Amino acid sequence: MAPKVDKIKKYLRIWGILVTNSFRTQMSTSLGSTGYLIGKLLRFAFFLVYLLAIFQHVPRLEEYNVAEVVLFFMTFNLIDVGSQFLFRGMYGIKYLIEEGDFDKILTQPAHPLFRISSMNVDLLDLLTLIPILAVTCFTVTKLTHTVTGKDFFAYLFLLLNGMVISYAFHVIMGSLSVRTQEMEGAIWIYRDVMTLGRFPVSIYTDALRLLFVTAFPIGIMISFPSQALMGLLSWWGGVYAVLLSTMFHLAAQKFWKNTLKEYTSISS
Amino acid sequence: MKKCRWKMWCAKFSPGKELSVIARSKAPKQSHEIASAKRRPRNDNMFMQKYLTLFSLSWQRHLEVRSDFFFERIRSLSIMVSLYFLWSALISYREGLLGYTRQQLLTYVLVMTLLRAFVLACVTDRIPTEISRGKISDILLRPLSYMGFWATQDAANKSLNLISAILEVLVFTFLVSAPFFVSTNPLLHLAFIATTLGAMVLYFQMSFLLGVMGFWTAQSWGPRFCFEIILEFCAGAYFPIDFLPRGVQLVLSVLPFPYLIFYPLSIYLGKATNQEILMCFLMQAIWIGFFVYLNRVLWRKGLKVYGAEGR
Repeated sequence: MAPKVDKIKKYLRIWGILVTNSFRTQMSTSLGSTGYLIGKLLRFAFFLVYLLAIFQHVPRLEEYNVAEVVLFFMTFNLIDVGSQFLFRGMYGIKYLIEEGDFDKILTQPAHPLFRISSMNVDLLDLLTLIPILAVTCFTVTKLTHTVTGKDFFAYLFLLLNGMVISYAFHVIMGSLSVRTQEMEGAIWIYRDVMTLGRFPVSIYTDALRLLFVTAFPIGIMISFPSQALMGLLSWWGGVYAVLLSTMFHLAAQKFWKNTLKEYTSISS
Repeated sequence: MKKCRWKMWCAKFSPGKELSVIARSKAPKQSHEIASAKRRPRNDNMFMQKYLTLFSLSWQRHLEVRSDFFFERIRSLSIMVSLYFLWSALISYREGLLGYTRQQLLTYVLVMTLLRAFVLACVTDRIPTEISRGKISDILLRPLSYMGFWATQDAANKSLNLISAILEVLVFTFLVSAPFFVSTNPLLHLAFIATTLGAMVLYFQMSFLLGVMGFWTAQSWGPRFCFEIILEFCAGAYFPIDFLPRGVQLVLSVLPFPYLIFYPLSIYLGKATNQEILMCFLMQAIWIGFFVYLNRVLWRKGLKVYGAEGR
């Protein structure tokens, strides 16, 4: 037990150091960082304003009322911003390889995936999360469904489950970057397709819905937690979500290990 | 010898008016030579040829670095798909909404995708990096106007994006059997094309202005990101702005943003009155004039502080 605690402490210390470094970098470009932060907050605010303005004229979107639609949007933001906050380092893997820093990371006494993911922890995203959390809590109080402790626990658990899938995607995209050194943009495809989850997946066609609960599970990442909070998700839905995220995670780890075996260190 | 050097100087800088101004201030004795150079008839074929070559090179570059282009299109496609199905679901049991028929609202999303590709696709976001790395020195030495250089690159980028967007919209319309509104009034088509071209020029001027900020800060990416977010929402590049409260619409109508996407689209959909069409032309002209003037002033000031540090 003690070695495990020591290991967790070590990783927390590494994370703290990386966060401090990242914060210092951001402070050195304060104008750019401030513009970025304001931009992110504005995007969130504008979307919310438009959604509320549209719902002045339309009472429902499919079977959902305005508070429920906003909950889907807030869940999307929590997963999206949370992933960016924690896994942003994976976006720059190509540059690590080009500069030869990837080899250095592989020799360090920390898991390379942890080390790379935590490299550019964006504290601006943490600031963005504050209003997102506040609006999410407010939205929960406006739901017509009375949220029980069980619903709330299921929501948090499935949010975490969504983050696991998001991490798996980041690892797969990172592995592709290592293999091809051209696929760093692929992470943007993931992020762009993720935006389809801003709204309930039930608005899409059957084919897209099937895609969103299997190969590209944004439905499981975003819609399932929201539905659980509204008491609309059956228990087998939850089990399926956990099974799928486990499968994605294992596949991503396997892919990463195979990628490292084939990595030739050609850049250094 | 001295005269020969001056001819080389003229050959380098005469097409870029901004630099001939600096040259004049630095070499007042040769002002008569500048005047005579200006009187010299310009070889229009040569003038066009160099920009056409640049256009062709830009196309080749975009097609060579296909991944950037591909990712840009994926982004646009995901916006179109999500908004199309959102509106489709919102009005599934209604005849229309706020004066829009179902067909008009869904067409708004589809044509908006085309306008995003044509109006809002821009390459001038690279200007600040070129300034901070001193790369613009190379371009300033070429017999091209700097703005012309970027306008040509921009045109190449827009044309590629537009071709791709047209294909995407056609395929998507076919796949989901989307109802597509086509106006029967040819004058509306002409007005739509004219205002779209106006919007393209207006956005280029706005984006160029942000690029010029690179003379004063290497961190203009932050304010640009912020500006683009404001622009996209206020231009109607996500939702029609007439869903917003009346007061907000009035404020937006005096800003340049809605004249980029929303008003050209309202004209296409036949929702704009004659007065609004004229207003759109007028506002576009005023804002273009304003930004052209501002760009000229800031460009000259910027060149004075430019130190080519990266070189």
